[in-house]
Amino acid sequence: MIAKIICFTLVGLDGVPVEVETDVNKGVPAYDMVGLPDAAVKESKERVRSAIKNSGLLFPMNKITINFAPADLKKEGAAFDLAVAVSLLKGSEQLIGADVSDTVFLGELALNGDLRPINGLLPILISAKGHGFTKFVIPAANAPEARFLGGAEIYPAESLLAVVKHLVGAETISPLETARFAVSGRKESSADLKYVKGQPVARRAIEIAVAGGHNLLMVGPPGTGKTMLARCLPTIMPDLSFEEALEITKIHSVAGILGEEGIVTERPFRTPHHTATTVSMCGGGNRVVHPGEISLAHGGVLFLDELPEYKRSTLEALRQPLEDGKISVSRAGGTVTYPSRFMLCASMNPCPCGNYGSADLVCTCTPAEIRRYRRKISGPLLDRIDLQVEVDNLSYDELTSTEGRESSAAVKERVNIARKIQRNRFAEYRLNTNAEMGEREIDAFCALGRESEEILRSAFERMKLSARARARIIKVSRTIADLDGCENIEPKHVFEAVSYRLEEKI
Amino acid sequence: MAKYTKTEEALIWLCACSGLDPRERVVLLRAAPSPEALFARFETYCESNLGKECAPPAARRQALEKLLTEAEEKGYFAVTAESADYPKELKAADPPLVLFGAGRRELLGARKFCIVGSRITPPWAQKFGAEISARVSKRFAVVTGLAEGGDLAAVRGALPGDLICVLPCGLDECYPAAHAAVKEEIRSTGLLLSEYPFAEKTRRYSFFARNRILAGLSEGVLVLSAGEKSGALITADLALEYGRDVFAVPYQPNVAQGAGCNELLKKGAYVCTCAQDIFDCYGIVLKEQTVSLLPEEEALYRILHAEGELHAAVIAERAGLPVHEAAAILASLELKGMITKAGGNRYSCVK
Repeated sequence: MIAKIICFTLVGLDGVPVEVETDVNKGVPAYDMVGLPDAAVKESKERVRSAIKNSGLLFPMNKITINFAPADLKKEGAAFDLAVAVSLLKGSEQLIGADVSDTVFLGELALNGDLRPINGLLPILISAKGHGFTKFVIPAANAPEARFLGGAEIYPAESLLAVVKHLVGAETISPLETARFAVSGRKESSADLKYVKGQPVARRAIEIAVAGGHNLLMVGPPGTGKTMLARCLPTIMPDLSFEEALEITKIHSVAGILGEEGIVTERPFRTPHHTATTVSMCGGGNRVVHPGEISLAHGGVLFLDELPEYKRSTLEALRQPLEDGKISVSRAGGTVTYPSRFMLCASMNPCPCGNYGSADLVCTCTPAEIRRYRRKISGPLLDRIDLQVEVDNLSYDELTSTEGRESSAAVKERVNIARKIQRNRFAEYRLNTNAEMGEREIDAFCALGRESEEILRSAFERMKLSARARARIIKVSRTIADLDGCENIEPKHVFEAVSYRLEEKI
Repeated sequence: MAKYTKTEEALIWLCACSGLDPRERVVLLRAAPSPEALFARFETYCESNLGKECAPPAARRQALEKLLTEAEEKGYFAVTAESADYPKELKAADPPLVLFGAGRRELLGARKFCIVGSRITPPWAQKFGAEISARVSKRFAVVTGLAEGGDLAAVRGALPGDLICVLPCGLDECYPAAHAAVKEEIRSTGLLLSEYPFAEKTRRYSFFARNRILAGLSEGVLVLSAGEKSGALITADLALEYGRDVFAVPYQPNVAQGAGCNELLKKGAYVCTCAQDIFDCYGIVLKEQTVSLLPEEEALYRILHAEGELHAAVIAERAGLPVHEAAAILASLELKGMITKAGGNRYSCVK
């Protein structure tokens, strides 16, 4: 008898339906798999055999052929185990009366018949639902992330035996209840602006950066709190919407780094070490294309500490995703596109010895050394970083003010207001933030008064700014004006924007 | 082709083509009755005085022609000790027999003032130096090197104007190589000088040799910055030796980048805190341009001026403003050239 079971495999973030056909027929006992299975899928033969036997079921001693269709698509991973086992049982007529035609089976089997969780379950469920499937049997351990898919019957099973009992109606599994997405609010963590001492200039800069979605470069001596400030970035970013959370969860699910909650409720903060390769940063792999750090940081912050230490080629690879908000990775197995709309936050020392601009310590670097150090970061990459701010080692005692330090929550409120202004402004433009503006939008939304125009011109001449730097300054001025609640960009906004840039010529 | 007299040609050949070192050249010039005679019967003098073999007359002529053609093509000129416009001031300074130049030759005859500084010059001193250089260049041709830091500040301030830059290498070369663009700019609006053959590379001793020309050309020398051991101090010492005025920018007592300047002041150099200090010495009056400041700018400027260098947050606090508002005003002051960023969110006064 021939049995057909539906399973799904992932290509990037998209699930593709795969039919598992099993023919159990008379002949010399054999057990074959066809249809481009990879090593992990082929090994399921042995897992399925053991699991069936150890569940007290019968493994047929006939000629067994298992086919994965479509035959031209490479099948990867162990997620087919359950589908293979069920189709084998169905084919050997051990599931009399069970209707399995419209159910999707997903899960990896242990030798004793238990079901193990799989990576990438949520994107599979979402795609499967798009294909019209609404009944799923999944490993119980994957239940947390599956809860958020509404409008489907999802049965979480502990073992193969439980699945069989459910199918024949002996002991039904109750379907998962759909969970409602609620922003849990940030867990009390050490990262909060209220713990950042001093740094008034940098605090303001990160507020502007988040409000306008600008990328940020922090320059300062070692030990002045650059990393601490960066960790505060997600705490002042707007809360995740359900759609955003789902998209981030999909990526994290594929990468297998989803936490116990089953859905991402906080914006990701990724800090790849500077030895990271281009592949680990952008995504890749032999045949399966895994999401890279920039995709894992989607919707959140990618923090590159000690920027000049990263390999030049790795940094250059960031340019296109920074522009497009997604990355296409091509491999022998096909091309996969992952979203990668992240906020880039980088930090570096001001000079090789780290003391340039310090009040107490003397910098011993020659201008040539400083230039060489700063030149490790290419102009095109710097051009995509709108804000450059110095983080200094001013001791807090130098400021006598008793003014309380603001918490992240207070800053976040202002950020939310500024973001709302931007959403209204860009309603027809498919943009979200000021940072995404191109020349056309700058012309449309950043009209400068005569006085502001004059300031920019003199800044241009005096500081020898490039044309790109001009666009950067205008975009940042727009954000500052938004934070200020001003319709028009005023001179003081331009001036402030001018102050957030590094001396280009030393 | 530019015309050179026989004497000039002989000197040019001796300096650029003979391959002798300066000491040997002097020995030969003393032995021969005139440079032409030396050129004509070089092998005789060379063998009897130095015991060296040398090229035959035809080859010498050929080498000279080649050099002059090359100079013509590249737009270089040569000023020899026998030329009418050879700077007389230089005679005090172990004068080079020949100077090769590119750019505005007439600057050789202008009044000259030298501004130098060490490579490690704090940002405020660079801005300050550029300001002074800009003003000095209205009355003098500014003489300087092409090094990083202090020299470059003087160059930036004086451009595009009367500027003489003396290289420690041939005119084809550029040291440091990163300043090639600046060098071209100087060539088009100022004057480049070098005592070396065109393709000569920089050597260790050529900085010292170059400094003697800097000091020798100038009526006075301003040292913008100098550590305890700095090339700028060598220039100042040479200037004293040649009887020129030495000016220095005063520094805080414990700042290493200015230790050399303070040492000069102790020894009796003139204090220079503005361009007028220099002009006073030469009886020049130049009208100050005044920058108009808005009231809030004035207030912040006063706060900063009282201390010289302050953190943006401290300025803001003293002015009773939020930091971001103060940042805007400070940026405005910076654009007006009154203050400059000193790194680490600190600002310092330029004027």
